[in-house]
Formats: sequence, C-alpha cells, structure tokens
Amino acid sequence: MSDTFLEVRGASKAFVGVQALDGVDLAVGSGQIHALLGENGAGKSTLIKILTGVHQPDAGTVRLRGVPVAFRTPRDAISAGIGAVHQERNLITRFSIAENITLESPPSWLGLFDADAAARATRRWLNLLALEIDPATPVARLSVAQMQLVEIAKALSLESRILVLDEPTSSLTPHETARLFAVLRRLAGDGVGILFVSHKLEEVFDLCSHVTVLRDGRNACGSRPLAGMTRADVVRLMIGREEASFTAPPAPARAAAPALELRSVSTTFGHCDLSLRAYAGEVLGLYGLVGAGRSELARAVIGVAGITAGEVLIDGRPAAIRNVTQAVRRFGLGYVSEDRKGEGLILQHSVAANIAATVWHRLRRVLGFVSDAMQAATAAPFVRALDIRTPSLAQRAGNLSGGNQQKVSVAKWLVAGSRILFIDEPTVGIDIRSKADLHDLVLRLARQGTAVIVISSDMPELVALSDRIAVMKGFRIVDTFDNTRDYGQASQRIMHAIHG
Amino acid sequence: MQVTESALPAAAPEMRRPGGWGDAARSNIAGLLLANIVFIIAFALLASGFTSPINVYSLSRSIGIDGVIGLAMMTVIITGGLNLALGAIGVCGAMVVGWALQNAGLPIPAALLLGLFAGGALGAINGLIVVLTRLHSFVVTLATMSVFFGVMVLLSGAAGFNALPASLLAFGRLRLFHMVSPLLLVMAVVALLLFYLYRFTAVGREMLAAGANPVAAKLTGLPVERLFVYSHALCGAVGAVAGVMVSLRNGAIVPSMAGPLGADWLLPAFLAPVLGGTALTGGEVSVLGAVLGTVFVEVITSGLYMLQIGEFWIQTALGIALLAAILLERARAGAMLSRSLRG
Repeated sequence: MSDTFLEVRGASKAFVGVQALDGVDLAVGSGQIHALLGENGAGKSTLIKILTGVHQPDAGTVRLRGVPVAFRTPRDAISAGIGAVHQERNLITRFSIAENITLESPPSWLGLFDADAAARATRRWLNLLALEIDPATPVARLSVAQMQLVEIAKALSLESRILVLDEPTSSLTPHETARLFAVLRRLAGDGVGILFVSHKLEEVFDLCSHVTVLRDGRNACGSRPLAGMTRADVVRLMIGREEASFTAPPAPARAAAPALELRSVSTTFGHCDLSLRAYAGEVLGLYGLVGAGRSELARAVIGVAGITAGEVLIDGRPAAIRNVTQAVRRFGLGYVSEDRKGEGLILQHSVAANIAATVWHRLRRVLGFVSDAMQAATAAPFVRALDIRTPSLAQRAGNLSGGNQQKVSVAKWLVAGSRILFIDEPTVGIDIRSKADLHDLVLRLARQGTAVIVISSDMPELVALSDRIAVMKGFRIVDTFDNTRDYGQASQRIMHAIHG
Repeated sequence: MQVTESALPAAAPEMRRPGGWGDAARSNIAGLLLANIVFIIAFALLASGFTSPINVYSLSRSIGIDGVIGLAMMTVIITGGLNLALGAIGVCGAMVVGWALQNAGLPIPAALLLGLFAGGALGAINGLIVVLTRLHSFVVTLATMSVFFGVMVLLSGAAGFNALPASLLAFGRLRLFHMVSPLLLVMAVVALLLFYLYRFTAVGREMLAAGANPVAAKLTGLPVERLFVYSHALCGAVGAVAGVMVSLRNGAIVPSMAGPLGADWLLPAFLAPVLGGTALTGGEVSVLGAVLGTVFVEVITSGLYMLQIGEFWIQTALGIALLAAILLERARAGAMLSRSLRG
C-alpha cells in the first residue's frame, strides 16, 4: 500500500484493569481526511496517544510509509512528522502566541530568542486561519476559540505530514469552522493525511472521505469510505444500535411572571440596555457568535460582575444580587460553566463532594457537622437519576468521562434546587449518547419547572432544545423569537439577526 | 475481557473518602508510619539515652509544639497559600496572653482566650489583605511578618513577661506517666479539632473546595473570599496556641522566643504538613499526616542529637527532607495527571 501514509495494525493497550484498545487497525492515506469516531471510552484518545508518542502500545505495529516506528516520547512523533491538536489545551498562557507556536524550535540569534523572526513565522500561520491578532499577544488574553485556533496554527507550523485533530471545532463558531475546513482541505490537497476526531457528525460528513469507528476498544469499522454511508449508519456503528429520535414535549402554559427578567440591564462586562425574559418550564436558547457576550451575561446575572444599570427581577420581584453566594443560595440561580474542567468541577475532589458542594451549608447539623454518609445520601439519588457512570461516589471527578463530568456539574444545581439555571455549552466535547442524555436532561429539567437558559454555539442543538431563542451580538440582544424547532426556519432567522 | 467505562454498573452509593482526602495523603501516612517505626527502633538501638525518660519527655514536648506549628501552617496551605508571619503572630498571641495575665490581671482562661483571639485577628488581617489585593499570600505575609513583629516590639518595649501564674507554669512542667509532656496532649486536641473541621463540617469542606479550585468554588456559590479569611484567621489562632506552648516550655514569654521576626518556626511549619501529604497547591489536607510528619522530624532531630551529630547537619538534613517531600509531591501529581489523561 504505497499511498498509505500511516498504518496501525492490531494495536492493543491496557491500563490497570481496563483494556482500552484491543487489536485496532487504522490506515490513513496520503491526502486523505479520515474521521476517527467512537463514543467516549471507545478508545479514540488512547489510539491518538499511541500515534503521538504519549503511550506505547502493548501489542501491534505503527508504520509510516511502510516503515515500522516506535515512538517513545511525543517528540519522536513530532520529528517523524505527526502533529496533533489535543482536546486539552497545551498552550502556555503567559507566553505570547509567537512564543507558543515556535516553542518546539524557537528561532534564535546568537542564542537569544529572535522575537521578530518568531512573529513573522507565526503571522503566516495565523493568516492562514484568518486569525487577525498580534503574535506578541499573550495567550492568556485570547478567547477560548482563539486559543483553539492558535493551537491548530501551532500544529500546522510543524509542517506535519500527518495531522491529528481531536475535537478541533469544539469551541469554534460555524464561520471559524468553515475557515479551518478550507485550510484542512488545502493541506489534504498537498498530500497531508489528516485524522479528524469530532462528535459533530455534520462536520464529519462535510469534511471527511474515510471513516474508522471504534467501539469498546475495537474496530466497529476500519477505514471505510464515507461515500454511501448515512448518518444513521455511522451512529449505529458507534453505539451498536439505532439512535433514539428526539422530540421535545410541549411547553407548559407560561406563568404570569417570568422566573428571570432583565430590564434594560447594563453590566461591568459591557452589556448595555439589555432586556430578557426566561420562564419557568421553558428552555431559553441564547445564541451568538463567540464574543457576543453570552457567557458574560450569565456570569453578570449570577453575581460575578456588577450590574451597573437596569433591573433584575426574579419571579416578578426586583432582586439585588450582590455576589454569587447570594445568587445561588437566596435567589436559586445556577450556572454550569462551559469550562467544565477549569471552572465547573473540582477535579481532585470526589464526585459526591462536587455534587454536594452547593448544599453543605444546608446539610450541616450541630457544630457544622456534615458526615460523608450525609453527603453521599444527598448526592446518590442524583447520580442515579442522571445515570452518572462512576465506580463510586468517592471517585475523583477528574477521572470521569466528559459526559459524566458534565452531568456532575449539572447535578450540583439539581441538588441545590436551582430554579433558574444557565447552562453554558452543555455538550462541548461530549459523545453522542451522552449528548442525547444531556439534551433529554435539559428538557426534563425545564418541564419540571426550572427556567433553563442554554448558551450554545451548536445551532442544531440550540434549535432542538429551545422553546424560545434570543440572539446576541456585540453584548446586546438583537432578536428574540418563539422557536418552532424547524431548523431551516430558525437558522435563517438567527443568521439574519446576526448578519442581516 | 472488556471492561469499558460504559459497561460499569451505575453508581453504588458508597463513600470511602470525601473530597480533599486523596490517595496521596494515604500513601504518605503509610510511608511516614513505617519511617517513624524504623527510625525509632534504629535510634533506640543505636543512640544510648534515646529512650530515657528525659529524652522521651523532651521529644514529646517538641512534637507537641512543632506539631501545632505545622498544623497552623497547614490551615493556610489548604488555600494554596502560606503564612510567613506565623511565627510573628504566634509570639504576638503569646505576648497578649502575658500582658493579660501580668498587666491586666485577667484569669488564666480569659487571658488564653484573648491570646487566641489576637492570633486569629492578626491572621484575619493577612486573609483580608490577600483577598482584597489578590496578591499572593507569600508577599502579603512577608510584609505583615515584619509589621506584626515590629508593632509588638514597639508596644512591649521588647520586654517579656516572666512572672506567669504558677499554676500555668506547673501545667507546662507536668510529666504524665513520668515521661510525657502535656503539650503533646494540647497538640492532640488541636489535631482532633482540625480533623473534625475538615472531615466532618460544612465550613471545612467548603474551605477545601475553595482552596482546590477557587474559581469553581465561587461559581458553585461558596463564599470563597470569606473562607480564605477564615483559613488565615484559623492559622493565626492556632499559631497563638503554639506561641503559648513555647512560652510554657521556656517558663516565660519573650519576644525573641521564635527567633528574629518569628522566622525560626518556618522550617517545622512547612515540614510537617508537606511531609504529611498536604498539597502545596491547596485543597487537600491530611491532619494525621502532618502529625506523623512532625513525629518524623522530631525523632530524627532528637536521634541525631543523641548520636552527637552537629546541629547544622541536622538543619541541613531537615532542609533536604523538605525538598525531597516537595519533589515527591510533584512527581505524584505528575503521575496522577498522566493517569487521568489516559483512555
């Protein structure tokens, strides 16, 4: 197979007690954009880590252009021409974009870092992705989407012959995604083999020519052409059964007063004269491009930033929210962060502690007493109700899969009995089955009387979930409408509101 | 045999440890326990006089004092911070007790409470500055160390208190079972209270959560700033207890009893919790580990003295032990990270 760039045969890898990969095959041809699909825990990340030298396989071979290779370290993989964008951010946030991108081989002059040369080299890759930022900007100042693009630029700059992209679009807008895809197609045209991991099947069908599906550490299919396959075929391969179709139950009759109402609110984040209503029993979708001020709005309302003008009403009564503690404990607000690992969870603490953290103060008895058993008894019903897969309540939250972590970060608000819940990007980086679970959960929550405000850049998701949609642009609401869940109609109205 | 995540049964409501009591702490405890036993046996065999009632008495006394110093530092380490002013606060607290007893003529319990309160208040000042300025506690407490100590010396005219009530001094000189200092019991009480706090109370759990990830804790509705101030205040109060304990050993309260600016306390303060598996990054605590860490340090110190090894060598050895413990923690954190990135 002369045009097979990268070939994996019979790769197996076991971790303590878990066979993560069991005889997996993969072949990526030159110039091919190859989708690697599978649910969380199917073995995708392990396979990628073998390809990028993070892990060494227990059995099986990796060949590059027919030559067997064994990567001991990530550096080996890079020098063999395999570049990767991992799911986790690998940027040094205090360094500038240029310093990050040239980190592997910093241009130097007489042993000193040559900032000009680095900036020049960097700008080339930024331009390619239409990222108009000064290369000297520290990464810490970038938005999540920009960081992701910088990470992609960094992988591109290594001029790899094989590019591995693990969920590269998870925080990109449709526009940025389209831009990235154009670049990837051009790279493929130049003969680069691309291994593309995504949970967004729309993107896979749009971009990829071949697909490998993993299920439970084995090939559900190996290197098959995508042509002729349907979405349903792929899903069946991934989950081993048909995808449950999703229909939202009708919204209940609207209460007289909105659960949350913003009247001409301005915030220290820069929102100005913004009005919004969220009703109990409904899902309000907040759409907008990255940087439209959606997360900031949620944060301002729960008390992270100040409200400088206007009124916040809860159940029709003015509410002066001074800090997050008050918002959560007195006004029943909750916020599920888009940055699950950084802000949503305390990764090194247990599942039970993460879930019960919102109510420790309520559980306490004489002398502030809260036992492990009380904490567990509080958390356990929600772990069951949300079907959170964890070996025990004492498991570190950091050891759960993305979908289960997300359920934990929702569960803590269910425990708290929040009546107004912001959920920021509920399914970023989450596999199909968990995604459906989470969608179901969001609607169930709403129908049980919570006012749920979903912030999402995933338009199909937002249209499927929301009873009403508000569109934000430049820290303002530009349109609000009742959603019929007709994707064509809704997406047109949204795009019109943003670009029209 | 396939064992994948999705094949696992739904959660069983069992609970072996809550957040903040990690594997790290447990592995440290086993290691320390073993090391302590080995060293105690070794010194008992090699160093004549190690097991003499006199030496056991002095060992129990220094374990008591340094244990409380270490526990005090532990209460701020869990916030991811530290308190360089611990020694200064401890001496200030003790000086307040001396003033209350000798100048104000307060009864002993009232004087002790006042000292505790003074230590807590100075700690709270540290906490407030840290929270309000968002500066690292290193810088803040480096400054307040000089300020607290300086103000104390100004107010007291650098004069100590050497006419403490006889009953108080008698307590300090008690010999339980002819060889155990009551200061060891004081340490045990402090340790039990802290164990209860972190293991079994709402505010203790909240302190650990705030220390582990302040942003996440804040977005969960925990009053993170207040919890940090509490932690610093607690550190100050426990520091004052240590100050009084040192005074009881010396039989008098003098400004210089913890060295210049109270800096003599710093090595034992960090050694005990860090050896015991309290994470310097915050959010994980091991009270038992800190106690065992102190025992380790004191046993080594005492044993090496008995073997007539010079003081400087002992200090050097302890410094190396601290460094090794920190490096070990780092390595373990790395191993943990790579484990959680798998799969």
